[in-house]
Amino acid sequence: MRPPLLRSNDALIAGVCAGLAAHLGVSLRAARIGMVALALVGGAGVVLYGWLWLLVPTAEERRRGVATPAGLRLGAPVLAGAEMRQGRSFGTAGGREVMIGVGLLVVAAAFVAQQLGVSVQWGWLVPVAAVALGAVLAWSQLDEARRTRLMDHAGATRAEGVARLAAGLVLVMVGLLILVSGSLSWEFTWPVLLATAAVLGGVGLVLAPWGLKFWKDLEAERAARVRETQRAEIAAHLHDSVLQTLALIQNRAASEQDVVRLARAQERELRRWLYADTAERTGNLADRIKAVAAEVEEAYGHPVDVVSVGDTPMTPRQEALVQATREAILNAAKHAGGAVSIYLEAGSAVSQVFVRDRGAGFDLDTVPPDRLGIRESVINRMQRHGGTARIRSSDAGTEVHLTMPEEEAGVPHD
Amino acid sequence: MTEPITVVVVDDHAIFRSGVKADLDSRVQVVGEAATVEEAIAVICAQQPQVVLLDVHLPGGRGGGGAEVIAGCGDVRQSTRFLALSVSDSAEDVVTVIRAGARGYVTKTITGADISDAVLRVASGDAVFSPRLAGFVLDAFGTAAVAAADSELDRLSARELEVMRLIARGYSYKEVAKELFISIKTVETHVSAVLRKLQLSSRHELTRWAAERRLL
Repeated sequence: MRPPLLRSNDALIAGVCAGLAAHLGVSLRAARIGMVALALVGGAGVVLYGWLWLLVPTAEERRRGVATPAGLRLGAPVLAGAEMRQGRSFGTAGGREVMIGVGLLVVAAAFVAQQLGVSVQWGWLVPVAAVALGAVLAWSQLDEARRTRLMDHAGATRAEGVARLAAGLVLVMVGLLILVSGSLSWEFTWPVLLATAAVLGGVGLVLAPWGLKFWKDLEAERAARVRETQRAEIAAHLHDSVLQTLALIQNRAASEQDVVRLARAQERELRRWLYADTAERTGNLADRIKAVAAEVEEAYGHPVDVVSVGDTPMTPRQEALVQATREAILNAAKHAGGAVSIYLEAGSAVSQVFVRDRGAGFDLDTVPPDRLGIRESVINRMQRHGGTARIRSSDAGTEVHLTMPEEEAGVPHD
Repeated sequence: MTEPITVVVVDDHAIFRSGVKADLDSRVQVVGEAATVEEAIAVICAQQPQVVLLDVHLPGGRGGGGAEVIAGCGDVRQSTRFLALSVSDSAEDVVTVIRAGARGYVTKTITGADISDAVLRVASGDAVFSPRLAGFVLDAFGTAAVAAADSELDRLSARELEVMRLIARGYSYKEVAKELFISIKTVETHVSAVLRKLQLSSRHELTRWAAERRLL
């Protein structure tokens, strides 16, 4: 499906070309070259661009549920829109279109005035227009959040802030205009620039230590806050886990098995919290085997130690391997007792699991046929999914060896 | 009966030290205890024990823990062997202390008889590998026997690989020997060779593996 036509945030001017490129499935460069080429054909590109700019919403506007783009709502003359939005801050949707409209009106007025015989100072008007256009473009490049932040920083949400900001902007613009329009000759400009730079530099030098100290205080405060948050998080975690378990252990001190079980479960939980990155919890094979081992350990109270080497993502075959492993561990915990050792070696070609216990062992041939555990859940399950299961049992213990190759052609698979 | 093996126990928890002392059998004699890096170095240099049971995490010093103790005991390292003992599972702790010179790594959940065996084994110059350490080695060196490695140090031989796999599967040295039809002495030789490789290898994959776990 073709993506909807939206103006992109990745914009040189207003994101029209990037949006077009995404919509039409051509490269951004091609869209831009095409637009420029069109612009050279009697200005068609410029008209098309302006038209799309007005009519096509940005992704942000679309998300806010603006069904029709700002341009359409301006179907009535531009100024109606401005009236509708009176009292709202400059940054809301439509402000940009209002600016464009005002700019176009000013240009038109200038043309009309010239037609009527008034001599228009183009030397002034062009720099003014350039500065204004630049400001509008810069503003429209910012997304909503950044605009709000900028307004906040400049204090533009309060009346006196707005006044200060406006005064500053006017001063900068006047200064620029005087420079650009050439009312000052360049012989004057250099000494003035030099003097300005010297004054600014001096002020900077005077303020630098203060600014530095302020910055350092800010950094220190931020670091302290981060530390405090971390400490609170650790305290909360220890309270929820370790302290609760310690209380439980004191309650159950009489039952040795309960105490061991509680301690093992808590140890496992704490280890996971301390040594495993949250980012590393992948849901891959090694994670699944460890989870299964923990589950059986919890249920039977026998320690189940997992050593894993390598890892591989889950597939239906790996799922079967996990289930067979679970059955093997269950069997070991139920019948053999004592510690169970799991070794997982996962690779891209083949994954192997060894489940070893130190119980009395058993003979597979003497297991009654109605006992489904080992035969159905381990051996047959592995074979159905293209793997193998071998069981070696002696009086020194039992080891179940599960092998699951990766998918390959020609192996039946259900 | 031969002379008992002299041991110094280094751990910052007094409860754990007394627990270990109670667990060790008569083949082993505890001659000193320490709770910090400085204390440990002082006691080890004074007593010159045959084996030091060393916790990986210790207060004091420059924060280097067990590895710093081993480094600080430079002159007695010829006669004293270190066995790392930790609750930590992290590859960082294991590899750091092994590369500093420890002859083995066991977790603190080890039972009393096993810990005495481990001490004796380390005292006689062999290495002690827990299943987990064997897992780390296999993870670091890779599980396939690589024929074209740059140096003998940078790969495990097929036999060493087999031994490591069996240890990771929970086999004792005796069971490994029986499984592979070799003597226990040969198993110990293989394990010591692997330990040496783990300590000295500059294998690029070991470096990469460590970097992934933020060890270097």
